[in-house]
Amino acid sequence: MSKKIKQIAIYGKGGIGKSTTTSNLSAALSEAGYKVMQFGCDPKSDSTNTLRGGTYIPTVLDTLREKGSVNAHDVIFEGYNGIYCVEAGGPAPGVGCAGRGIITAVELFKQQKIFDELDLDFVIYDVLGDVVCGGFAVPIREGIAQHVFTVSSGDFMSIYASNNLFKGIKKYSNSGGALLGGIIANSINQGYSRDIVDDFAERTKTKIMQYVPRSITVTQSELKGKTTIEAAPDSEQAGVYRELASRIAQHETSSSPHPLELDELRAWAATWSDKLLELESGVVVGGEKAGI
Amino acid sequence: MSDFIERPRTACALAGALAVIGNLPDVVPIVHTSLGCGGNLANSVAFGSGYLGGGYCNGGQAPSTGVTETEIVFGGTDRLSEQIKNTLELIEAKLYVVATGCMTEMIGDDTSGTVSTFIDEGYPIVAVSTPSFKGDSYHGYDIVLDGIFNKFVPVEKEKDHKLVNIFGLVPGYDPFFRGDLEEIAKLLKSLGLRVNTFFTPDQTFENIISASKASLNIVFSRVWGVEFAEKFKERHGTPYQISDLPIGPEATDKFISDIGEKFALSPDEVIENGNKEFYGYFERCADAFCDQDLKSYAITVTNSNYAIPVSRFISTEMGWVLTDSFVTDKLTDSQKEALKSEIPLIFLTGVTEIAKAINTNHPRNRAQRYFDDLSPLYIIGSTLEKRTATARGAKHMSVSFPAYDRFITDRGYAGYRGGLHLFEDLISQFMSVKS
Repeated sequence: MSKKIKQIAIYGKGGIGKSTTTSNLSAALSEAGYKVMQFGCDPKSDSTNTLRGGTYIPTVLDTLREKGSVNAHDVIFEGYNGIYCVEAGGPAPGVGCAGRGIITAVELFKQQKIFDELDLDFVIYDVLGDVVCGGFAVPIREGIAQHVFTVSSGDFMSIYASNNLFKGIKKYSNSGGALLGGIIANSINQGYSRDIVDDFAERTKTKIMQYVPRSITVTQSELKGKTTIEAAPDSEQAGVYRELASRIAQHETSSSPHPLELDELRAWAATWSDKLLELESGVVVGGEKAGI
Repeated sequence: MSDFIERPRTACALAGALAVIGNLPDVVPIVHTSLGCGGNLANSVAFGSGYLGGGYCNGGQAPSTGVTETEIVFGGTDRLSEQIKNTLELIEAKLYVVATGCMTEMIGDDTSGTVSTFIDEGYPIVAVSTPSFKGDSYHGYDIVLDGIFNKFVPVEKEKDHKLVNIFGLVPGYDPFFRGDLEEIAKLLKSLGLRVNTFFTPDQTFENIISASKASLNIVFSRVWGVEFAEKFKERHGTPYQISDLPIGPEATDKFISDIGEKFALSPDEVIENGNKEFYGYFERCADAFCDQDLKSYAITVTNSNYAIPVSRFISTEMGWVLTDSFVTDKLTDSQKEALKSEIPLIFLTGVTEIAKAINTNHPRNRAQRYFDDLSPLYIIGSTLEKRTATARGAKHMSVSFPAYDRFITDRGYAGYRGGLHLFEDLISQFMSVKS
């Protein structure tokens, strides 16, 4: 009997650092001895760039268009430390249906049972920022990923996107879809960003998998076309990613999320807006008590 | 909750568009949608409208892009360009109409942009957007007419003061459209007018082109084709008049008088001849009609175009007791409002819903000694009402889509002759049982 493959989907607002986080997670898991596939689900097809020295690979859908059929082996490329890299690809901006493209690419891999054949431990789907239609929800539907992690900063729009994702997960959670593993808090440098993400996690009854600080090391590594794990293995940041990988490797039980309703979310954001204003203008709390 | 679709009385907008295109002379469709749509949709009318068939390069022969997954993911406009080029090369036509289906609309294919490159090269081609989510076949009728007459047909400022266009009867979905159009054209010609019917075999492509010269559009529908006629008025400056399809002498006398007045033409001769014709035939069988007591309660189940005309004829000219008039189109409140007349209408679509309504409105006798029975009953509807009629022990005749229990060629119920035909067809059902 084949071993249980852990399939993970990483979602979050566009530009929040999903691909960076995913690639470092893949690299760290691979270093830890796991067999990993990273599956980029974005028509931009640049999810796996830093695992392959900054180069692009032919995508599933481009190959499908050119050849009419695809053997999954032809679109799997080896990256850093033997990580299997796949890019779903998609149409040029403004034409066709990218969502359907993701469905086609993911189903093609599922049909060819390639994950079992490669004896994988992890498949990590790196999904486009905005889950604008059903196609981009495919990795969280029945029979694909089991765990979803969302990458979010303390920025309100990023949290809004995560909350939307929670709604999507909840929708499919009753029909055998993926469940929420937790939040990867990214670009957390200011103290209050951590507080905001913590507060959001508490209210939505989920947990923070890791706090990833914003770091120049990441930028430097990416400019070299590499992950931080590869380019700066001894850096503090690499340690942060390794810790994240270890937690995800040990993570077993995900749960159905508790998203906030839009009104609740707005009210919640407003309380934080007041708090941040007080922080900026230096409101003294408890002055009366101190006799000021 | 949404309704489920069972025994439908219409198809999608694309089907309506194909029914129009397939009945216009020298006009060929190019269907931009997934495999199967074109043929299946054309078949709904080819069989369901009294075996209307497909026509030249329509139905199963309609050129289609037949898009598959590759076009859905990457866009289908390259496939469309290829299909248009091939069609222009292989199929002779004076106008090509690219009609879209759901798939290519969902993915946002720029169909108009693709077609406009061919227009720029001088080819006679238009694009219409006809996915099912824009509406049913009746909406498709409006959309495709707008594409052909308001986008392709050139504007003609000088009007022919004796030329009229006929719209409103929906090809296929009004199964007697050809016979009705021919009868209306015959009457209007007798009055001294020239008539574009577009959809009858005598018409040519010239009739389509000359449509913009017409000084009046007569729309035989209170609902369908009205929006198109309004746009036609804006573009070509031709006013329109909405009229119920006249069936039988009373309605036809009024229609001819109205049109005569509009064009300052005397209707007297046409009315006199029409009445002579109708009653000349009618009186011969009036004895049998009266003596054999061929009277009936009547229920009509038709689309909105036929509901009022047929109900009126049955109650006012045949003297039958009309109990219920069901309108089966899916209509908005304002469209329902437009159908207000002396005939109370019931708006229901589903076959079972209608059967239930009939049984609720007219309960059956449960061994009561004295009972006001709805008998004899005649249900004048579509073929879908046949079973309902049988269950009630009623006579049945199909006059509305789908009508696949009869063949229809030039049969029509409009005008004086049409009134005779409707009378004749209804009464013949009694006679066939007697023999």
